Amino acid sequence: MSNETLVDVDMLRTQVRDKYRDVANHPHGTHHFHTGRPLATRLGYDQSVVDALPDRAVESFAGVGNPFSMRRLELGERVVDVGAGAGFDSFIAATQVGRTGRVIGIDMTPEMLTKSRATAGQLQFDHVEFREGLAETMPVEDGWADVVISNGVINLCADKQAVFAEIRRVLRPDGVLQFADIANGRPVPIEAMRDVDLWTG
Amino acid sequence: MLEDSGFEDVTIGPPVDTFGGAIGEAKARSFEVFGYAFIAHRT
Repeated sequence: MSNETLVDVDMLRTQVRDKYRDVANHPHGTHHFHTGRPLATRLGYDQSVVDALPDRAVESFAGVGNPFSMRRLELGERVVDVGAGAGFDSFIAATQVGRTGRVIGIDMTPEMLTKSRATAGQLQFDHVEFREGLAETMPVEDGWADVVISNGVINLCADKQAVFAEIRRVLRPDGVLQFADIANGRPVPIEAMRDVDLWTG
Repeated sequence: MLEDSGFEDVTIGPPVDTFGGAIGEAKARSFEVFGYAFIAHRT
């Protein structure tokens, strides 16, 4: 991950929002990545937990790994999910922290927020809420979270250092950041890194 | 970058073939792109 901003931030954000609006509205459409229940199985999520979630919570899942694979959340923890999408990981987190914990999912795509809020209502998960916001400026107070999770989102942000600084702001001291993201084993040419189209496709 | 941003005890999990069989597989293979889980603690 580079800390240099290589692309126009607003243009990239618009393109990412358009892409994930399409994933929200057409989860079974043609995308360059896997989605939904097959992806959750591929990434090693607990099948019984995924099976218990309604389709709306899972069908638009487009993560790249499993942020719970190295640490299960503890009962009562307060969690922020950066780029929550339709809420899949937020609902997994809500299951793990129980009703004494709390989960705040942050997303910038209105269509995703519509889905995640509807699912939270359907599940009667009143310890989960979804807020509209950006990874770089999250609507969460300083030091609120015990844990921050994220899945396949930070790689889509132009200024990763700004995102990590914001995550650090919302975490309490010694809080845990557990996330999944992609990394490349071969260097990507600088001209490709400046091509916004390649960031989302 | 995580350590420069105020995190410590960074651990990275094994690679996951996130894009295998997907439309984006060829592009992912060309740059050896895989998914990883990360865990770190705020200082």
